[in-house]
Amino acid sequence: MKILTTCGMGFGTSLMLLMDIQEIGKKHGIKVEGEALDMSSVKGLPCDAIFGSSEIVKELSDLDVPVIGIKNILDKQEIEEKFLAFVTSQTQE
Amino acid sequence: MLEFLTAFVSTPAFIIGFIALIGLIALRKSASDVIKGTLKTILGFMILQAGAGIIVNGLIPFSQMFSDAFGLEGVIAEDNAIAAAVQSVLSMETSFILVFGFLINLVLARFTPLKYIFLTGHMMFSMAATIAIVLDQMGVSGWTAVLIGMVIQGLASVIFPAMAQPFVRKVTGNDNVAFGFYGSSLIWFTAWIGGLLGTRPAPLQHEPARVDRVPAHPRGRGPAVEPEGQGLDRPEALPDQGDREAPPLPQAPPLPQAPPPVRNKYRSTEDMQISTKLDFLKEMSVLMSIVMILVYGITAAFTSPELLAELSAGKPVSLMVITNALTFVVGVLVLLQGVRMFLAELIPAFKGVSEKLVPGAKPALDVPIFYSFAPNATTIGFIMAVLGGLLATALSAFTSVVVLPSVIGLFFMGAAAGVFGNAMGGRRGAIIASFLLGFLFQMIVALAYPLVGLDDYGIVGLWFASPDAIIVIVLMRLVGLLFGV
Repeated sequence: MKILTTCGMGFGTSLMLLMDIQEIGKKHGIKVEGEALDMSSVKGLPCDAIFGSSEIVKELSDLDVPVIGIKNILDKQEIEEKFLAFVTSQTQE
Repeated sequence: MLEFLTAFVSTPAFIIGFIALIGLIALRKSASDVIKGTLKTILGFMILQAGAGIIVNGLIPFSQMFSDAFGLEGVIAEDNAIAAAVQSVLSMETSFILVFGFLINLVLARFTPLKYIFLTGHMMFSMAATIAIVLDQMGVSGWTAVLIGMVIQGLASVIFPAMAQPFVRKVTGNDNVAFGFYGSSLIWFTAWIGGLLGTRPAPLQHEPARVDRVPAHPRGRGPAVEPEGQGLDRPEALPDQGDREAPPLPQAPPLPQAPPPVRNKYRSTEDMQISTKLDFLKEMSVLMSIVMILVYGITAAFTSPELLAELSAGKPVSLMVITNALTFVVGVLVLLQGVRMFLAELIPAFKGVSEKLVPGAKPALDVPIFYSFAPNATTIGFIMAVLGGLLATALSAFTSVVVLPSVIGLFFMGAAAGVFGNAMGGRRGAIIASFLLGFLFQMIVALAYPLVGLDDYGIVGLWFASPDAIIVIVLMRLVGLLFGV
């Protein structure tokens, strides 16, 4: 699946988040392709979901893909829970 | 052949691409990943340089207007643009200081108690370029510069995070991550002042007893947390909610039953309701456009009609002003796109290497990771930092250079000063810390400006931004004085 991560600049927090998600994906046997982008670029690129900090993704409404906010970007457990919840929701559809 | 090699090595994008190639091969990536990674690194670097070119060109008319209007020199503090713009002359030094500096960082983290791995790529790049520039101005270049520079870079990668760590623990409540951002010392310094002048520090948020009271948030976050259930923000659900702030924030967990008499009551920024109307400003490009149009517009209002007519070449002056202001923003956006592309290849590789060689070291990460600990404080912090920065702009007219409001620095550091100030001294602490940060950030630039001239590299209207990089510049200059350079 293709995941976009986003933050204000598109190469600090979002890149860390993307690496965390890819690591989690690997652990669960899910291949995650992704890109870390700034908020302006994240709209309009095809993807399965957008991850970012809760503060940031509040700005991303009116998109066709799920936008998932992470409250504590340092909390790998939260990232893992939300990522897996997203994966489950995808397979059910 | 030798001629070709020399030319090859003096083409900045190829050096960094070559380093990426070696790194990717060393990490035993697949052939397709190696090709993709190398090419994307090279493209990213070329985009970066193109962006710097746009910025530098966009600033030339502005610098003319500014000196015509006020008879002063005006600069914007922005590191990445400088770093990118000097690559045509200092690319060899910058690239190798970046890579070898990282290796020194690994060695220091492995063998000293300073177990930090600096992973904020754009800061590593701009610091490497800054060191290369200062060495170049002191008459040191080539491999000597790389040797000296990599040691400085490696030391900076662990010393600055180490100094910030006590404050990071206050904000995050744990010791797992570090602050990898070359503005950290100004942020913790202003937060410390905010703590002295602010309200009594919060009852430690990570106190075990306190955490037990909040079973819903076992990971020791700030006193007020967002309501649950916002995590999976399905966008279609949003428009119906109207004002997204509508669900009231849960009350801060009750303070200990019989609070000891205190100097004054701790009030966190997170107990406040802040309008979301300003949230659009969190998008960098929007904010920077508004500020740059204002800065260009005000300057143009004081510029002589002759120069304006010359610059706008027959077109309406207002259009020329807006176009030039937005050209600067476009330059920054292009530059950041380039940074993004080459960091996306570089940083995962660095992270992989460090996890293998120095297990258990703390990653030192970029500043926005702290924003979620006190979201309100980031808004307050940014606004106060802009006010502080404006005061500094006015006062810097009495120094050798006028430092114009430098949005990127004010935004990212001001927000962090809000968060750290809140952790140290509550609402008042956050306000004081971030105002002071905006003010000092630009005043430091104004005062340090004579130390390094960038005119030789064809750069006008820009100067270094990162406070920690400026500390390094000052120290290097002082050591230089000892050796008579």
